[in-house]
Amino acid sequence: MLSRIAESFFWIGRYLERAHATARMVAEHHQLIVEEAPADEAAACALLLDALSLPDDEAGASADLVSIVLGSADRSSTVAGVIAAARANALAVRDVLAVEVFEALNAAHLSVVRGRGLARVDSPGVALHRVVERLLVVHGVIAWAMPRDEAYHFLVLGRSLERIDMTARLLAVQHDAVWPESGSVATLRSAAAHSAYLRRAAPDGDGVREFLVLDPDFPRSMRRSAVEAEEAVRSIMALGAGGGTELLREVGMLRSALEFAVNPTPDDVDRLAEQARIAAMTASDIADAAFFRQSGTIVWSH
Amino acid sequence: MDTVTGVAAYDEMYAAQTPRPEQAELHRVLARLSAEELHDRARLRDAYLDRNGITFTLGERERPLPMDLIPRIITAQEWQVIEAGVIQRIEALEMFLSDVYGPGEVLAEGVVPRSLVTTSTHFHRQAWGMQPSNGVRIHISGIDLIRDEQGGFRVLEDNLRNPSGVSYVLQNRRTLAHVLPEVFAGHVVRPVAEYPERLERALRKAAPVSNPVIVVLTPGVHNSAHYEHAFLARNMGVELVEGRDLYCRDDRVWMRTTLGPRQVDVIYRRIDDDYLDPLQLRPDSVLGVPGVLNAARAGNVTIANAVGNGVADDKAIYPYVPALIRHYLGAEPILPNVDTYDLADEDQRVYVFERIESMVVKPSDASGGYGLLMGPSATQEQIDQTRAAVLAHPRGWIAQPVVTFSTCPTVVDGGRVDARHVDLRPFAVNDGDEIYVLPGGLTRVALPEGSLVVNSSQGGGSKDTWVLDTAGAVQRPAPRERRRASVEPDLPARHEAPRTHDERLQQQERQQQQGPPC
Repeated sequence: MLSRIAESFFWIGRYLERAHATARMVAEHHQLIVEEAPADEAAACALLLDALSLPDDEAGASADLVSIVLGSADRSSTVAGVIAAARANALAVRDVLAVEVFEALNAAHLSVVRGRGLARVDSPGVALHRVVERLLVVHGVIAWAMPRDEAYHFLVLGRSLERIDMTARLLAVQHDAVWPESGSVATLRSAAAHSAYLRRAAPDGDGVREFLVLDPDFPRSMRRSAVEAEEAVRSIMALGAGGGTELLREVGMLRSALEFAVNPTPDDVDRLAEQARIAAMTASDIADAAFFRQSGTIVWSH
Repeated sequence: MDTVTGVAAYDEMYAAQTPRPEQAELHRVLARLSAEELHDRARLRDAYLDRNGITFTLGERERPLPMDLIPRIITAQEWQVIEAGVIQRIEALEMFLSDVYGPGEVLAEGVVPRSLVTTSTHFHRQAWGMQPSNGVRIHISGIDLIRDEQGGFRVLEDNLRNPSGVSYVLQNRRTLAHVLPEVFAGHVVRPVAEYPERLERALRKAAPVSNPVIVVLTPGVHNSAHYEHAFLARNMGVELVEGRDLYCRDDRVWMRTTLGPRQVDVIYRRIDDDYLDPLQLRPDSVLGVPGVLNAARAGNVTIANAVGNGVADDKAIYPYVPALIRHYLGAEPILPNVDTYDLADEDQRVYVFERIESMVVKPSDASGGYGLLMGPSATQEQIDQTRAAVLAHPRGWIAQPVVTFSTCPTVVDGGRVDARHVDLRPFAVNDGDEIYVLPGGLTRVALPEGSLVVNSSQGGGSKDTWVLDTAGAVQRPAPRERRRASVEPDLPARHEAPRTHDERLQQQERQQQQGPPC
């Protein structure tokens, strides 16, 4: 498969996950600010913006927060920007992309970037829910219509590395520092993990962090994402792609660090989360060098 | 607003045409919203409730519980009275239940007529002598309150068996923050979200063992409150079971699981006493668990709420609750009752019959507004029927003068705002050490103009209910130190698809657009 195409699928996976996780995080954050107004609203908004690496100087109130994070097609790391980027990549591989996947992604793009959904920031919850829903359709169609070929595995690789990154950003918000009573529930809800977690224990900060980092079954835990990343790399290599060894080592070591953590203390969990975030970043760079740009860019000079 | 009784209802929003001080901020925000805007938001709300499956099954139809967009405000001072009054009432009723299912001193002393207790349809002899493990019988209660014409809160009825509606309290808050966030501005509202945790703790403390298996027992998906049963089980992280999932052996209760039988220690049952155990109560019940009462009697399982609580919320016992508070606690009731006539007493019956047009006549053992006669709006035929029913079985009925409930502004057809009558059901959870009253509770609103019937089974709606924390009366935990700076990630700018990639695409795009010359 063409490196260019592999790269686009990898980034479609990353961007879709980033859009989805970001939209969920801001929806929950906004709801929490409305229901339980913090003493310093601007500071509470800045917490989320910092975690998302967005400029935090414009948000004075929860409504600003939503419009900043929803953003626009030309602002990177905003929901609209990320979806536009996913679509740009999809356009570039339209010939090899299942028609249904492109349609679903395009519909998400239309509803989010051009649609009136965004104008309704006075009911931000409604606008955000629409975004999340459209993105779920895209995920569903991918699961349902894409052949499990190389392209798919690159998409899954991108998605699982991004998941680790987004979970790290979610934990960086530390909702429970501002909202000691309901913060942990908000963290869980942002990751759609509330129902899954409650069967284990009552939500408390340390328990929730451990769950999102080390749970073996929950799809957005770092450990589970590392397992998926490793499986994706193995599948890519099994299909004959060379040069994956270093990447496999990186994600494999991360997976085993998370899988075999023994009686981790809350401090250990924090360290593992940070280790995972850095490993995901490194893995992304390795994939870039190994698969997308292996010959180096040729620069022509006159 | 004029009503049938001729006395104006207490208006919670306005006093002499101006908004009350605690309502001023809300009033300002509402004044900025046009009728069309409110109508729009009402559509968003319905879509939200429908999509989330937050519904109530009425008859055969599943519908969203009508939630009004305008929240109801209760001040911190008002709430202090309600909270203290509810706690006092539960304490007295707990003592009453433990007395009538034990030594019966209260009956011997004649505080409550023995015949009223023994003739109550909810007095279960099968529960006599059963000792709950931490002494609690009323784990969960809903005391229905109204505000009378002067604005004072009064108890309208007690619900000590299976009060429902608490899930709507939690969902109303989320829904309102979702579709009409701007009304929250300028208010510090006491949160309600901790309810499931409190409930779980109370059930755990009621268990006969230290690390209990708790279940919620539902009649099944066809029950009108099934949504709530599932909501509570999910939010407590416990199993939702039906009667057929449980069985008893050796005076223990077991749950059928894929890993074999698992012993159950606490059953939060949402099915009525009558259906709970076909061996002891209604033999034709297919919803219950045969033998569960014996298991409870043997102390191997806790049933919450306890069997037989209905004797204490019987409407014929209700007039005696103030006397019970004086008897057990030696204190005056903080929340007064509504005047009530016992129709088994001939003098009172004659008195009521003479002015039945200004009375509400209720069956003493029913809930949900079923079988109730609203004197002022009843037809002659209905009055005759009720009169005959009362004469046939006087013990089964009580009467109260029509009390005009207070009103709150409510969105009615097409986004118009008008006053509608409301009541309040605060929910209380007794864990044996402390009675926790959920700040707010379920406000039910009678949607037809002038109507005083708020039951959701009779077409009532609900309102998000805010207890303001204006006085700073409640110590909220202070924000915590953010954790360990040493491991806090220094989040970099995001990884993006390389710019060169984009630039190349753009350049390509420009060249492609030029196309070949024709």
